[in-house]
Amino acid sequence: MTKRIFRSTVAVAAAVLAASLVIIMGCLYSYFATVQENQLRDELELAAAAVETQGSDYLESLDTSRIRLTWIAQDGKVLFDNQAGAASMENHAGREEFREAALAGVGESTRYSDTLLQKTIYYARRLDDGTVLRVSVSRMTLGSLTISMLSPILLVAAVALVLSAALAKRVSRRIVDPLNHLDLENPLENDTYDELSPLLLRINQQHRLIDAQMQQLRQRQEEFTQITGSMKEGLVLLNAKDMVVSINRAAMDAFGADESCVEKSFLTLERSHEVSTALREAKQKGHGETHITRGGREYQLDLSRIESDGEVAGTAVLVFDITEQADAERSRREFTANVSHELKTPLQSIMGSAELIEKGLVKPEDMQLFTGRIRTEASRLVALIDDIIRLSQLDEGAELPCEEVELLELAKDTAHSLEQAAAERWVQIKAAGESVKILAPRRLVGEIVYNLADNAVKYNRPGGSVDVEVREEDGSALIRVQDTGIGIPEEHQSRVFERFYRVDKSHSRSSGGTGLGLSIVKHAVARLGGSIKLTSYPGEGTAVEVRLPKAK
Amino acid sequence: MRSRFDQQLQELNSKLIEMGALCEESIALAAKALLGGDGELASRVVPLSREINNMEREIESLCLKLLLQQQPVAGDLRLISAALRMITDMERIGDQAEDIAEMAPFMAGREDRELGRIGEMARAAIAMVTDSVTAFVDRDTSLAAEVIGRDDVVDGYFARIKQSLIEALVSKPQEGEYVLDVLMVAKYLERIGDHATNIASWVVYSVTGVHGEEKA
Repeated sequence: MTKRIFRSTVAVAAAVLAASLVIIMGCLYSYFATVQENQLRDELELAAAAVETQGSDYLESLDTSRIRLTWIAQDGKVLFDNQAGAASMENHAGREEFREAALAGVGESTRYSDTLLQKTIYYARRLDDGTVLRVSVSRMTLGSLTISMLSPILLVAAVALVLSAALAKRVSRRIVDPLNHLDLENPLENDTYDELSPLLLRINQQHRLIDAQMQQLRQRQEEFTQITGSMKEGLVLLNAKDMVVSINRAAMDAFGADESCVEKSFLTLERSHEVSTALREAKQKGHGETHITRGGREYQLDLSRIESDGEVAGTAVLVFDITEQADAERSRREFTANVSHELKTPLQSIMGSAELIEKGLVKPEDMQLFTGRIRTEASRLVALIDDIIRLSQLDEGAELPCEEVELLELAKDTAHSLEQAAAERWVQIKAAGESVKILAPRRLVGEIVYNLADNAVKYNRPGGSVDVEVREEDGSALIRVQDTGIGIPEEHQSRVFERFYRVDKSHSRSSGGTGLGLSIVKHAVARLGGSIKLTSYPGEGTAVEVRLPKAK
Repeated sequence: MRSRFDQQLQELNSKLIEMGALCEESIALAAKALLGGDGELASRVVPLSREINNMEREIESLCLKLLLQQQPVAGDLRLISAALRMITDMERIGDQAEDIAEMAPFMAGREDRELGRIGEMARAAIAMVTDSVTAFVDRDTSLAAEVIGRDDVVDGYFARIKQSLIEALVSKPQEGEYVLDVLMVAKYLERIGDHATNIASWVVYSVTGVHGEEKA
């Protein structure tokens, strides 16, 4: 800005300087030239008159160095010259002014010096006696005048330069200052040059456009963050260089990272070989999958390549927490192994007995013992298979018809059916309480009460008792089975509802349970939308409370 | 120019992490193979070690390229020179993991006090390697300093194992070969601890400009 203003100021100054120089020089030069010529002519007239009257005496007496006077005889011989010796001068007959004067009475001519820096003007006049008096004066030409004026011109130019520099600086500052102080955030609130208002208007428009777009972007980002933030699965987006572009909360939790991992390599989150291999695979084949264990939990990582215009733009990593699944898988495997084991044990006992009988190794009096054993083991098998079937029915969640069930009545019936088994173990069983009716599948409720009561009888001590109590509490039905049995140590209490879990592994045979009773209870209660509470003290007994909603 | 440089530095960083991860894995695998006497597991260490060697060459040429083409200064230069030193240590860890894995068949079916101690020592050494790599990833100088301090723990294990091996040699001279094998493994683990310490000190150097061991 300053530079341009400076340049134009200098140009203007130079142009003005040049123009005024030309004009002034031209005018003044011609004016002074005319004045000088007239003066010269007058002087010539005067000198001529004087010479006519006084002759060469006048010329001799004249004392002037500015004007050169030459008296030339008719034949061109110089008679007198006030600036040079007349004798040494050449014949002037050929000179233009002389010839003109000799012929016409007056003559004039102009001659330039060799360097063109000086010009000499000659005026000649014929005197009455035929001689010619010539007057001449040297003066500067226009060129030499200009050259001699060069230093003042340069001085002026220098002054002009300095002045224009100062001016340019000032002007540009005055122009730019308001521009610098423009409030571009609120372009329309500026009070400045009118010429700027279209620009400011435009800026304002673009401001609004940018604001709107930013708003939109923010909104989208927020939507994205919100959506991914509430995802249960972890999501990490990587760019083509495997840098984290975006990571949601679940993924941060899984990798134990925070926001600072964004724009860092994915390797800083998880550097295991499996993951880098899977990442490479995803980039090559489009999909990769791997498992990692972090902080005691198992995660499945699904990696997918993101393509854009045929190029790899990055990778999306989905992180699934599969701890529960893995646990479920493990317990399913354990269950299968347990079932096989539980089924095999009675069968082996049956086979052993049958083999002995087959080979005739059993004495007739022992025969009953062996066949009895076969029957018991077979019935154990049947009970076990029954339990497994019931459990798998519960697992599959087959719809069961709901009906009104009178719990107290059911409890009394159950207690009655178990009386004999209880009596064999010298255990007293009784059911009491208030009448509560619930709407539920009778079979499920029956399973719950039967299995709880059955367990209470089986794991009791001789002379002990089992109390089944039914009552209504806080709007739901409460079944409480209290025994005076062996109790469950605390460390086992959380696991007794698992399939085939036994507190005392050696005790299972004698008690005759299948190890599935409590598991069935748990499933049935879950199906009915109820809850179970178990309180037990080893050696004192166990109380199981089941709460069931009155209507499902 | 600078952005390309940054990219290359990032690449170097990623490759170093990857190489560190490979070291962690190979030593963990080797230890598992050794303690379980599992030859199949041990055979998987060899390709890992080869991969580590390849990574070393790759990183080395990347570092030299960076040094020649970009003429880095200050922190960048420190990172690159630290990287050049770290890969040597990492490569040695890979070699030692391979050596340990080679011992696995001779330990099959053994379950004695010395091998149990070797297990503990291996865990300590692996943790040192893992933590030194983590220190590099997170540029965590305090973790690096902690790793440097833990070198004494591994050295202590070595001394104790050596002592009990001497006793074993006296009481059961026929077990001589086995005893020497265990001693070798202990020595390898002790070396791995040293290399992890070196890595940790290079981490400190690349971050602060002061070599880890100088400060310690």
